[in-house]
Amino acid sequence: MFRFQSLDEDCMLEEEDDGLIEDEDEIDQFNDDTFGAGAIDDDWQEEHKRLAELDERDELGAGLGFGGGGMGGDSDLSTSERPSSTRIPSSVVHPPPPSSLASLSFSSSSSRLPPSDVEDRVGEGDLAESLARLILDADPAIAGVGAAERPGLPPGSSGSGLSGLRGLDQPRVLPQPSPILPPTQPHQHPQHQLPPGLPASGLPPSSMLSYQQQQHLLRRGTAPMGQMSSHSIWENSMGFGPVSVAPGLLTHMEDNPLMSIIKEVGHPKRAPQGRNDEDLSERAPPPRSSSPVIGSPPVRAVPIGTPPKQPMSHALNHQIHHPTAVHVRAPVQHRYPAPFPERLSPNTLLNIANSPLCRGPFPPRVGPVLSQIQRAQLLNSQVAGFPRGGPPPLLPGGGGFRPFFGGPPPPHGHRMGPPPPHGPPNHAPPLRHNTTHLHPQHRRMLTQRMQSRGGDRRPGMDRRSRDPYSNLMTQKEKEWVTKIQMMQLQSTDPYLDDYYYQNYYEKMEKRQEKERDSSKKEHTTKLITPQVAKVEHTYRPVQFAGSLGKLTVSSVNNPRKMIDAVVTTRSDDEEKREKQVWNKRRQILYTVEKMYSLLLEVQDFEKCFVQAPEEDREALLEQHKSNTEQLCSSLREKEWDDRVSDEQCVMIMSVRKGKRLISRLLPFLPSMQAAAVVMAIARNLPALAKKDKQDQVLCWLVEPVSAVIQSLSSASLTDLLQELQGSEGQLATVLHNKFGVTLLYVILSEGERMQSSDPNCQLMDDNRWTELVFSVTRELLSVPSSSLSPPLFTPPNLLSLFSRYVDRQRLELLQDKLQISALSR
Amino acid sequence: KETIVSRCAASCPTQSGSSAAGLNCHLTCSSCLYPTEKHLVLLRDGRTLIGYLRSIDQFANLVFHQTVERIHVGKKFGDIPRGIFIVRGENVVLLGEIDMDKPCDTVLQQVSIEEILEEQRLQQQAKQETEKVKMQVLKDRGLSIPKADNLDEY
Repeated sequence: MFRFQSLDEDCMLEEEDDGLIEDEDEIDQFNDDTFGAGAIDDDWQEEHKRLAELDERDELGAGLGFGGGGMGGDSDLSTSERPSSTRIPSSVVHPPPPSSLASLSFSSSSSRLPPSDVEDRVGEGDLAESLARLILDADPAIAGVGAAERPGLPPGSSGSGLSGLRGLDQPRVLPQPSPILPPTQPHQHPQHQLPPGLPASGLPPSSMLSYQQQQHLLRRGTAPMGQMSSHSIWENSMGFGPVSVAPGLLTHMEDNPLMSIIKEVGHPKRAPQGRNDEDLSERAPPPRSSSPVIGSPPVRAVPIGTPPKQPMSHALNHQIHHPTAVHVRAPVQHRYPAPFPERLSPNTLLNIANSPLCRGPFPPRVGPVLSQIQRAQLLNSQVAGFPRGGPPPLLPGGGGFRPFFGGPPPPHGHRMGPPPPHGPPNHAPPLRHNTTHLHPQHRRMLTQRMQSRGGDRRPGMDRRSRDPYSNLMTQKEKEWVTKIQMMQLQSTDPYLDDYYYQNYYEKMEKRQEKERDSSKKEHTTKLITPQVAKVEHTYRPVQFAGSLGKLTVSSVNNPRKMIDAVVTTRSDDEEKREKQVWNKRRQILYTVEKMYSLLLEVQDFEKCFVQAPEEDREALLEQHKSNTEQLCSSLREKEWDDRVSDEQCVMIMSVRKGKRLISRLLPFLPSMQAAAVVMAIARNLPALAKKDKQDQVLCWLVEPVSAVIQSLSSASLTDLLQELQGSEGQLATVLHNKFGVTLLYVILSEGERMQSSDPNCQLMDDNRWTELVFSVTRELLSVPSSSLSPPLFTPPNLLSLFSRYVDRQRLELLQDKLQISALSR
Repeated sequence: KETIVSRCAASCPTQSGSSAAGLNCHLTCSSCLYPTEKHLVLLRDGRTLIGYLRSIDQFANLVFHQTVERIHVGKKFGDIPRGIFIVRGENVVLLGEIDMDKPCDTVLQQVSIEEILEEQRLQQQAKQETEKVKMQVLKDRGLSIPKADNLDEY
């Protein structure tokens, strides 16, 4: 039979449990001689001392039979209720007591019942208690184990139950147990994970239950005791831990010596109380093993996926609708010998909770450990109950359960308002989220949606109630997830992080403004996203008090270097050559990346400029200029600073991204440089075409290049055409390539445009242009059709161009070949 | 037949995406409460799953209940019941709520599972054929189109 461990416990714990349990197996746990009345194991003098102390303390009304009376030898911890708790921290902070002592000291702080209770049983329990204590003292392992066992239950229960603890003003012991205790007892962390039921139950029963009620509960507790003996003490300790009335039940355990141990062992758990469930889950792991920002996920009482113990839906409904009809004894009795004693069925809980305690101020921590399904079903039936107008007695019971399910969660600093979705009778009031960081338009849309959803709720409510699997996620869990997601939305630079969102809403606004009258001009709503202060997380080595040196605690939140990796360079010749090749490529990629970021800034400049306030504009302008300058210079040759480097351009364009870069960059370059770049492209077209075989993206360049060409002078145009033709056979290659053909056409068309529009154009001044065109036509005619690549587009005025230079026959041939239709004139 | 409401948002917590993501997480989380709301998720491999969203975590891992995988081919679609689905967050492209109450005026026609699977198979086959032909033509010309995942630049 194994414990359920909470999710964020050390695995160490499990192993330790195993080891310790195995040790225990050798000792006969059920042998009276070992633990019970027959065991006289120790020095009589010590025993006498202890008994004496015990007597003293008991007279002071130490408290419950949790062994509160006189645990441990620390007489400081005389237990009147309040003072004990305040004294605990100091006593614990002192040089760490032996583990048993620590555990026992906790227990004494948690004893709360009025003295009358204790006195009732002092006589009976004395001997058993003292003996048990002896053993515990002598063997810290037992206490340790017992303490360690606790955690199985608690965390989840603490999660849900503790939220209801808010109302209590009980002083909480050890707000930060971890720095105090962990050093010597790292394995004992779990002991701090108290079942909320236990600590909590300390106070409320005393304050809220009348003495008679308590006695009633106590007596109820006796019944199952007999059955308990058949289980291992560890199991039983778990079984009673979380239940709010556990104190009552436990008090009778001293009848069975085994139980007294449990009582003692059980108590440590109570000490840290009233904490956030999130804190609880963080108590167990060593410091900085949970994120300081996010926290740990809300801890479950039982791991997710635990099968439910019993089918309970029908019983539940019965319970809820007839709270007063419950007969307390019988059901409680049946539940105890259950295989999973740490999880009482909702039935039991309801029984316990509703009948005697129902009318009074309801102890919020009913209990803890429902499986998901059970919790969901309870929630559902609650929900279902409301609209059907359940009987009024339902409400206090039902209302009491609300905190159980983690309703009114702690108000998170910047976020949600109190959103118990299952609190109000109708679910229409939606969760109120913090929407201040959203665009106002967005906010409006969301609220509209929420309202419409709220309206839709009513008809669907009945359906909801019938679904047993809804509400598998607790409210806490949902909040935790949303908290993480909202954190990701915080950004210092919204334009960088959330570009599309910002742009989308801007466009929408502009659209709306256009539609609307300009008369009712609203101020442009600015989007203010929450700014995150960059927190410096400096590394301070984790120190445990009382330990020698610095222990390394490594976790996701503070990772530590585990391996010293040494970099060795291999001096192989071939490797070197390969490396060089790679290095060059990497160099190119690096250059491209740097240029790209500059380019992006340049492109965004306008937008930022418009958005920026007056003061910043100067600075932005300066920035912009320098960026552009940098971009230009990166294209230039190393030696001659004023010429565009062919080599550099080609290098950049050998990479796919580089081509994209150039295509985006061209519009921003000054015309001289742009022309030079285009020349370089034309000059090196065959090489570029070859390198582009895989990517096929040269055509990205068509648009920007054509834009540049259109701004060229006639001389430059001629030059360009010449470059394109360049060496022998270059034109053929050019024609083979789609981009080349397109480029050629664009050039020719531009020339034609120039000629036709401006009679004074200098294109015809020297014969270069004519000659070039002639050679082009020759080539076009001679090249086989199959190797002529179809262009991206055919400019319409090509025909008129050719008609100037060639005769009719050739013109017709050209027409066919290039598929220039006569109509495109 | 349900109509998808325009409440979808890319739920990718790994990127700091649109602010809409966070708020829709609120909605999604709160709609975990409302089991009558079915959710539709589009996965990276192109599958569409519809079911009751039971649980979500910070990585957008999803737990779907009574899931149905919906296959669309042309104007027809078919639903395959799949039971409980756990989806790893990195595979989620879109997640949105389905508004059961909205009137449905779609032209899509529901068919049986066998039929839709058959249609899908035919569609895949046709696609493969065209792809094969394309590759062959390119090979003849000495060109090759690389697969997107082989590119080393991004």
